[in-house]
Amino acid sequence: MHVRRVSTVIASSLLFVAGCSNSGVKAAPAQPAADPSIQISTSHCGEGWAHPAAGSQTLSITNTGTTTADADVIGVPGGAVYGELEGVAPGVTRSLPITLGQGTYAIRCQPEDGALIVGPSVRVAGSAKSGPAAVPVTYNDLYGPTREYQDYVAGGVKTLLARTKTLVAAVDRKDLKAAKKAWLPAHLAYEKLGAAYDTFGDFGDAIDGLPQGLPKGVHDPDFAGFHRVEYGLWHGESAASLRSPADRLLKDVKGLKADLPNEDMEPGDLPLRAHEIMENTLQFELTEKADQGSGTSLATASANLDGTRQAVEVLRPLLKSRYTGLSQMDADLDRVQKLLDAQKHGDSWTSVAGLGTSDRESIDGAVGELLERLAPIASICYPRRTS
Amino acid sequence: MSGYDRRMFLRGALATGIAGSVAGVAAGKAVAETSTTPEAGAPPIPPFHGPHQAGILAPARRRTIVAAFDVMADGRDDLADLLQTLTDRARALTSGGIPEQVGITAPSSDSGILGPDIPGGDLMLTVGVGASLFDDRYGLASRKPSRLTRMPTFPNDDLDPAWCHGDLSLQLEADDDDTLLHALRDIAKHTRGGMQVRWRMNGFSNPPRPTGTQRNLLGFKDGIANPDATKAAEMDRRVWASGKAPEPAWTAGGSYLVVRLIRMLVEFWDRVGLDEQEKMFGRAKDTGAPLDGAHEQDAPQYQNDPEGLVIPLDSHIRRANPRTPQTDDSRILRRGFNYDRGMDSVGNLDVGLIFTCYQQDLQRQFEATQKRLADEPLVDYISPFGGGYFFALPGVQDSSRSFGGFLKV
Ligand code: HEM
Repeated sequence: MHVRRVSTVIASSLLFVAGCSNSGVKAAPAQPAADPSIQISTSHCGEGWAHPAAGSQTLSITNTGTTTADADVIGVPGGAVYGELEGVAPGVTRSLPITLGQGTYAIRCQPEDGALIVGPSVRVAGSAKSGPAAVPVTYNDLYGPTREYQDYVAGGVKTLLARTKTLVAAVDRKDLKAAKKAWLPAHLAYEKLGAAYDTFGDFGDAIDGLPQGLPKGVHDPDFAGFHRVEYGLWHGESAASLRSPADRLLKDVKGLKADLPNEDMEPGDLPLRAHEIMENTLQFELTEKADQGSGTSLATASANLDGTRQAVEVLRPLLKSRYTGLSQMDADLDRVQKLLDAQKHGDSWTSVAGLGTSDRESIDGAVGELLERLAPIASICYPRRTS
Repeated sequence: MSGYDRRMFLRGALATGIAGSVAGVAAGKAVAETSTTPEAGAPPIPPFHGPHQAGILAPARRRTIVAAFDVMADGRDDLADLLQTLTDRARALTSGGIPEQVGITAPSSDSGILGPDIPGGDLMLTVGVGASLFDDRYGLASRKPSRLTRMPTFPNDDLDPAWCHGDLSLQLEADDDDTLLHALRDIAKHTRGGMQVRWRMNGFSNPPRPTGTQRNLLGFKDGIANPDATKAAEMDRRVWASGKAPEPAWTAGGSYLVVRLIRMLVEFWDRVGLDEQEKMFGRAKDTGAPLDGAHEQDAPQYQNDPEGLVIPLDSHIRRANPRTPQTDDSRILRRGFNYDRGMDSVGNLDVGLIFTCYQQDLQRQFEATQKRLADEPLVDYISPFGGGYFFALPGVQDSSRSFGGFLKV
């Protein structure tokens, strides 16, 4: 297999497009002569695009209809979207910065609850290169991947429950050494689910909440879940006093499992998950903010990476034709994986505080770059209407 | 007068020199006091392309970020990509314009903090390389600028490793903080996987109070005496690497950069009498004039004061530059900024100087000067804790070249 070299930089346009504010010499504006506003409405969709031109420009779009509407500039044929405006209220004019190359385009109007209307086709001539475009992803496109992801979560929750039982049983029989050993696999089972930013609602806080934000911090009665048990295990708490937080954890994991069939994941959440899991990792694990004594933040990061891979995997069929950065992103996933794996020593992991400067910078940098390449997935796969 | 001298401005951006022209000093005569701080009428920032990087001789702007990076690029090709990207961003950020539009394919390409149309000509950017970049990681040992070493620890130092050294240095200068932050954010976004900030210090230069050279946070005018940046021959002799053996040829047009992060113990300093303060520097606090002169641009006449009765022999300016033929070749081009980073643990202001200077030869110039300053009376009131030695790369000559030229030669 051809292995692509990982580029550690993000390709970008070499230059900003000449604007009107270059110092000294006032350059001629890059904008074509200002067109009167282009209309969006049920009856006049796309009318008024009188002087279509190539290059970087700002289109002026006015909703002349009676309901709020979205507007897209699409390529004809194919329907790739070059630019969009969401929620333009009746009577409102908004600007849409866009870069168009030679080709045929049309305005697509989406009145709030009416059918889509495609305006007249417009020819653009000129040598400028168009900005990047993608064919929209619809709700329909996302149902399959979302179901797949939910199956993955359901499977993971079974593992989570089994491992949590092992942990709680060890606490119950007062074998804290075994409990310490059982804590990490159970916690990682949860972290692999790819929960981030309120994914599991109240269960998320109950199972994986942090003491930050609680009035009494680690001593707050509401501090619960894996990190509460971790705090006790790594701060010399007795088995007797750990029993209640451990039992409570088991109860909440069971609750999550029981509740799962009732929780339909919103398909629009899945593309967000692609970068939010690792945003969470960067914010709480690589800073070691979440750590309550076990020093296993990098293990958590690695489990989060598994969850991220899963989100990317189920979306891959949609991304293949739409996301040009996909292979670089794959290389980034592998790079982060390799860097994290290097910090695993048998069953134990280097703590973030224990990382040398260059290892820490390599991990932070690789995760940061991975995030830059995961973020476009949320934009590309944001569910849009096409009919 | 305050603000830039109109005639000098017309003679070109370099005419005001760095931190005030000192053309008259060598000849021992006073010249008109000119502002060292850009204000209304500040000369335009020189273009990005050129034989030298713009930020070395051009007058300092009001704000700066000085940062060092550790490079994590995977091998030489990746390092070349990194330097190419750094060049691309530098070019885009200095020239301004409308950020790339990405439609629905990605989040906005730009942070937007400078608005939809990024002003051009507001930013100066200087890139350097540290000795560590030439270690065994990238096989660059044979290309190392011959005088580039790791910054040693000097006798009065209290260096914190987290604030020292780095594979790359980057100095951003502009008149506004948002311009600097926009640039740093953009550069970091495009280079996260290839380099990470090792340390970073924000700095500022002050407006003239009331006229002339800006004052540092000890209350003394700082930046008065400097080699004349408008004299090409002088710069060739003191600032620019020649590219002649033992220097690798690629270094021509670059310059050695010393950064010293120096804390000032300002509360202690404020409890010292004025006379003692002035003797420590050898200059008057109000006017900035040498203690044997009347105006800040007057040259001290050490030959008339061999015992140091007026300007003590151990004063800062006399030790830093004894103005003798023997010490002339150790002069440096200083380009300092002030910093303020809050309070320390005993409730004192954590402020000081981002000392930077450029030279052709670290040992002959900076180190010789630093050695003469060892144990000067001022050392009790300051504490160097960070910085590093770097080689500021030659300028990027045109749009076909990059900072990575030295990788290819
Ligand atoms: C916090 C530390 C420092 C402070 C507060 C400081 C302050 C000053 C002041 C007030 C002057 C006189 C005004 C002027 O000519 O600009 C001066 C001059 C000078 N300083 Fe410093 N300085 C510091 C560190 C250094 C260091 C580390 C060096 C170099 C090793 C240095 C080299 C010089 C030189 C070469 C001059 C000009 C002397 C001349 O040509 O007459 N200074 N400094």
